[in-house]
This record gives sequence, structure tokens and C-alpha cells, in this order.
Amino acid sequence: MRRMLLAALSLVLLFLSGCHGHKEHATGQETELHVAAMAGPITLNPLFLRDSASAEVASLLHATLLVTDPDTLAPQPHLVSSWEVLEDNLTYIFTLHENAYWTDGLPITAEDAAFTMRVICHPDYTGWLFLPLQYVAGAQEYKQNHQSLFADGFIAGIKVLDEKTFSITLKEPYAPFLSFLTFPLLPAHLLSSVEVRRLEAHEYSFKLPVSSGPYLLAAWDTDEYVHVKANPNFFLGKPKIEHIYYRFVPNVETQVIELLAGKLDLIPTAVKVEDVSRLQADPQIKIYTNPRLVYDYIAINTKKDSPLQDRRVRQALATLVDRREIVNNVLLGFADPLYGPLLPLHFAYDRSLHTEAVDLAAARELLVAAGYKNLQLNLVFNAGNLVRENVALLLKEQAAKIGIDIQLSLLEWEAFLAAINEGDYELAILGRGVEADPDLTYHWHSESLGNALGYKNEEVDILLEQAIKATTQEERATLYRQAQKKIVADIPAIWLYSRQAIHAVSAAVENFRPHPESVFFNVHEWTLKAEEENM
Amino acid sequence: MIFQLVRRFTQTLLVLFGVSIATFLTMHLAPGHPLQANPELRLDPTAVERWLQLRNLDQPLPAQYISWLSRMLRGDFGQSLLYNRPVTELILERLPSTLLLTVPAFVLGLLLAIIVGIYVARKQNSWAERLVQIFSLAGISVPSYWFGIVLIILFTYRFPLFSAVGMRTPGDGSFWDIIQHMVLPLTVMIFHNFAYYVRHVRSAVLNVLNLDFVRAAKARGLTDRQVMILHVLPNSAIPIITIATLSLPMLFTGAMMAEQVFAWPGVGRFIVTSTMARDYPVIMTVNLYTASLVAIANFFADVLYLLVDPRLRVKA
Repeated sequence: MRRMLLAALSLVLLFLSGCHGHKEHATGQETELHVAAMAGPITLNPLFLRDSASAEVASLLHATLLVTDPDTLAPQPHLVSSWEVLEDNLTYIFTLHENAYWTDGLPITAEDAAFTMRVICHPDYTGWLFLPLQYVAGAQEYKQNHQSLFADGFIAGIKVLDEKTFSITLKEPYAPFLSFLTFPLLPAHLLSSVEVRRLEAHEYSFKLPVSSGPYLLAAWDTDEYVHVKANPNFFLGKPKIEHIYYRFVPNVETQVIELLAGKLDLIPTAVKVEDVSRLQADPQIKIYTNPRLVYDYIAINTKKDSPLQDRRVRQALATLVDRREIVNNVLLGFADPLYGPLLPLHFAYDRSLHTEAVDLAAARELLVAAGYKNLQLNLVFNAGNLVRENVALLLKEQAAKIGIDIQLSLLEWEAFLAAINEGDYELAILGRGVEADPDLTYHWHSESLGNALGYKNEEVDILLEQAIKATTQEERATLYRQAQKKIVADIPAIWLYSRQAIHAVSAAVENFRPHPESVFFNVHEWTLKAEEENM
Repeated sequence: MIFQLVRRFTQTLLVLFGVSIATFLTMHLAPGHPLQANPELRLDPTAVERWLQLRNLDQPLPAQYISWLSRMLRGDFGQSLLYNRPVTELILERLPSTLLLTVPAFVLGLLLAIIVGIYVARKQNSWAERLVQIFSLAGISVPSYWFGIVLIILFTYRFPLFSAVGMRTPGDGSFWDIIQHMVLPLTVMIFHNFAYYVRHVRSAVLNVLNLDFVRAAKARGLTDRQVMILHVLPNSAIPIITIATLSLPMLFTGAMMAEQVFAWPGVGRFIVTSTMARDYPVIMTVNLYTASLVAIANFFADVLYLLVDPRLRVKA
């Protein structure tokens, strides 16, 4: 009896193991790639992206007007194949790629571009893309005065010249403008009859019947995966990999095991630094890294009445931070130390701001000079980010050496955001995403909506205003370097590091070239080695 | 009898009303709102304001509650703020995959616990009893999360027999494929359920076994089997029914840990993400839904008591 049971059991196991095995890269002749994601997307509508999963999937499904160069971040042609700037530096004439088609076969036209920009400028639009478009002549007026529920009518500064050409006129020179034209278009023939307030919840955002990117939506299974298929009519040529499965695996450990077991091909961007050496030991896996346009910093609340309003106290804190130690020991080298508000990738980055010296004696002197022997400050940071937790502990330890007692308060994400927005903190560890263009206006101009720290320096304001009107890159670089020096000298924040993206990729994937803002930047050029062997 | 049922029903309605107000208030007292300015992203404050307006989130709280209540009474549970789709649709599309996991885990776990529990109750101080006690202690104290990861390492990496991610292989989804994906999460859940139920079954049966009427039955010359079936089991059923029916609501809210570790596309994961994201309409609906399930389960337990225990029927 027992033997029969055993035999039956082993048969079942054999059967089950037979059903399974390592994932084949090719089903028949069709290649497939399995990508891990922490969460599924929320929307596929490219104008309403608010989370990274939606943004990643959107970059597979939609082509943007322009792209930025992965190394220099300079604007490059994409759906817009060429452009011209008129003498006045206000009018840009754009020509769309002649082979650019929607997936339903209709050409992508200048009217699509004009329609998309009208949606963005419509009073009922709730995404963030209006920020750069507010510089377009007539955009503000459209936003304030447009009565219809639809994105119809005209914006004075946007003109459709012919099927493939359109022009945009700005109300004043705005040097970073081109670097913001990196949004995709909506198909006007499908969506112009939809009220703008209903666009976000419209079927289009989930079923995506028509798109323009390297891949088209095949299936989106709730909480399981998004399956995309190569778009045969993609204007840069049909992608080499036939199918991509973007699979939601909400657990990092499971992701790594599945990658090692050969059931996933790519863990993009957020591989944990501790896992890198284990993954590197496997010849089937390659690790790629690239800089990203995000950084972490310690925000200093100077709006609240506290000793931090004294610059000497802020400087004492800044002198304590050992960025090298954080980068080498906490981030195991997968980050660049940061000393100012721009990243090494930016053309206006200033190397002269580097300061390595951690000087406890000087920090103590500054504190005493400011009239404090001992000081208590609270530091707010969010739960679930191990790196920030370690940084907080390191800072607490260092500060204790000069008589500053740092009280740590670890908050759940939403509570953390609420504390930051209500200014209920003295010090906070925050992250920030920056743009491809080095323009510092959004975060550091005293009148900008994005100036969350309430930083105010009139000289900086003037420099930034000059810089967005300047015409040459050298001129802008000089102005931004001057502005950076002033901002850093005022110590409104302590910049810490900019983490690198770490991707773990199956060795079979070739031509993998991630962009600081998008892992799928050149996805249409990726190939799988197995594919060639099969042929 | 009917009067009692009606009274129970009105009580339940009042409780649900209380739950909805409590949920609504705590939810809005918790800091943050679904689209609050995230300093790590670029957000246009005027757009955020418009977003709140279009969803009536700028209204005073009592007005928001009343409009929610009136819509709910008409069967409209609103739209998810995060997903922009009807809440009921979002829950219903996740329910089948949750039930696929929770129902077998419940049935098998309970069945196994009843069989083993009765067996060890009869064999006190045996090695089998000690083994089961260790096993059930382990099942309760070992976190499902850790156990899940161990299983994944063992059976998808070292001995690749099963799949650990999701409910099916993308592009497959055949019967065997789904069974294959179910094995590991189901093992974790059955282990946990079994460990929980088996102690209750054992102690319920033991309690009855030590009573005088059992000894009397034996003295009358009934066989062990007859004593068990005719006297012990019916009398130890009540606590087991209580435990089992109280876990019924869990069938519908999913196994959050197992769903998280094995990337199972169920209701549990959805509830967690929605709560984290302050998705008010979803939180309201889920709470009401869970509270109703608990109420229904209690009601169901009462009915079952009446069925198994004739004495209660007389009192009623």
C-alpha cells in the first residue's frame, strides 16, 4: 500500500515537473521577454502618469515627440523628425516623421499634436504637463477662458501648418522648452469627442485600442501582467523581440529567485545593492547600471521658528555629513555623492562644489558661535527605504559628537508626505526627480510653485530669469553655475547622493541601453541571443 | 423565531451604519489624500485642486458622507480614485482568483484538522499527539511570509517543480498550469489553517471525551466508533463551527501575505494597495463588505447551532 502511494506521488511530481521547466525564450519562432515589476500600471493614458509602473509601461506603448540623449540629455528627434527655431527665439517649427502611423493605420498628424496640447491646457486637465506648456502664447488664456468641455478651439501659439508640420510660439523665450516636449500624443480621431474631464477614466486609458509606440497592447490581466506585442508599423522599424510580458511580482526576493531560475529576464532599475554580487556570480545574468535624474537630500525647514534659521547651525550640520561613507558603505558604490542641486549628467554641473572634508571641530565651533551648546532637532523620513534609514542613523551618530541630539521619526509614506506638506518637520530626508534640462527655476526660484522649501534669494531669482532667456548653452551654463554657488552657500538643504539605476538582465538580452529616465529607451533594438540560435 | 431574525437583521444594519461612519471618519483623519503633493514628483498644484474638485473631495466631510451614503443605498459604490474604475468591478474581477485559493485552503485545512484532531484527542500522550502539537505551534508561529520564501527557494530554484509567481504562466493558463501555480501558496495557507484549527478540534473533542455521559455510553457497551459518531462528535461540533464560520469572511478578503509573496492576483493585495494609497471609495466599500461578511458569518453560525444542537431549538 505504502509503496503504491509513493509510486503515485512520484508520478504526480514527475507529471508536474514535466509540465514545467525553464521558460523558453522562444515559443516557436516568436521571442518573448519577461520583465519584473513591483506593481502593475494604473493607467495607460500617457497624459495622466503619476506612478513609475504606469510610466514604464507607457514607454513601451507610446512614442514621444522628442527624446533626450542618454548621455548628454540634449533634445533629439523622435516622432518629430526635425525642427527649426526662428530668429526671434520664440517660434519653433516641427515636422513629424513621415512614417509615423497610429497602430490603426492612420498617419500621426500635426492635428494630433495640437489636440494633445489643447487637452493639456484645458481647465479640466489634471496631470502636470501644463507646467512647461504655460510658456506657450495663449496657453494661460485657454486654461482660464475655455468654456467648452472638449479640447476644441485654438491656442493662439499653436498652429497646424500642414498634415505633418506645426508651429509653437512662446510668449517669452524659454530655453528648456524643447527638453519638455518629451510627452506622447493622443489620437485626435479617437478622443476629440471625449470630454476632457472624462479622459482619465475613459476606456482608452485601459484598453488602449490605438497607440504609437514600439509595442502595442495585447492583454492586461488584472494584477498579473501586461502583455505587449511588437508593433509592425513602428516608425523606427518593428522591434526585434516579439512579445514582452511585464509581470507584477510585488516581492523583491521572489523577483531575484525567479531571475536566477531563468523565469524572468529583466529586473529593471531597482535591484537592491545587496543582491548585486550574488547576481553577478551567475554567468546567465548581467548587471547594468546608469545614472538617474533623481537624488536624495536632507531638507531643512527654515520656515518654522527654530535654530535652523541660523545659517551657522545649518552649516554645522552640512559639515557633519560624510557622503563618501554613505556612498561606499550604505550604497556599496552604486551612487554619486552630491554637493549641489544639479547632477553630473547636466551640462551646467559644477565640479568645483565638491567638498569631502568632514570637520567635527569646525562644526562644533559653528554651533557654539551660533550660541548653542546643545541642540535637539527632529529628522523625519519614510519607512521602507533602508538606505534612508541608514543615512538617518549615521547622521544621528555624527551629530551626537558635536552636541546635537537628533530625534528620528520614521513615518508611513502617506503620513510622511503629509508631514512634509504641512511643514511639520525640522529636518527630512527626501528624494527629488529633476528634469533633463538643468533649469533650476522650478525648485529654487522664490516665486515657483515647486519651491517647496520656500527658498528665497533675489540674486538667484535674477540669475535664473536670465538663464531661461539666454540663447547659448555656454551662457546658460555660466549663469547656472553662479546660481548653484549661491544656493549651495545658503544651505537650504544638504545634498546627499544620486543613486544609480541597477538592472539585472538575462545575458541573452543584447543592445540593452537604458536611459536615465527610461529603461525601455531603445527597446526596439533589443535582441535575444536564443533567437539567432533558433534561426 | 421570525421576530428574532428580524431583530438580528436590524441590529446588523445598525452595526453596518456605525462601521461606515467610523471608517469614513478614521479614513479622513488619517493624514494625506490620494493625490497629495508628492515632493518627489512634479505636480501642478492647480491641477491637483481641479482633480479634487472634479471628484467632490473639496466638499465638507458631512456632505461627502451623505452623498456617499445616498449613492451606496442606490447600489453605486463609486469609482476608485486610483484606478478610475467602478469599485465593485475592481473587487469582482479579483474575487474568483482569491476564492480559488482561499476555498480549497479552508476546506482542506479544516478537513485535515478534524481528522487529525480527533485522532490525537483519542491518543493522548502519544508520539503522534506531540508531533501534531509541535507542528501546529510551528504553523502558528512561523510567518507565512518566511515560509513562502523558503518554499519558493526550494521548489522553483533548487528543485524547479512548481511556479511561484502569479496564477498562471503568461500565455498559458490551462487547468494544469493553474494547479501548478496553486501548489506553493496553497501549501502555505493549508499549513497555517491546519495548525490553527487542529488545536481547537483537539481540545473540543477532548473536553467531550472526559464527560460522564461518554463514560456512561462506553459502560453501556457501545463500541469506540459508535461513541465517537453518536455522542462525541455532535457535542464537540459547536466550538468547531464557531471557529470555522468566523473565518468565512477571510475567504472573501483573501490571504494578503500569500498573495503578496506569490504575486497572486487577489482581493487581499488590492485591499493593501488601496489602503496605502488612501483610495477612499475602495476603503469604504471594502470595510462595509468585510463587516457585512462578518455579520453574515455570525448569522450563519447561529443557524448552524440550531441545526446541530436540538437543545438550542427548544430554547428559541
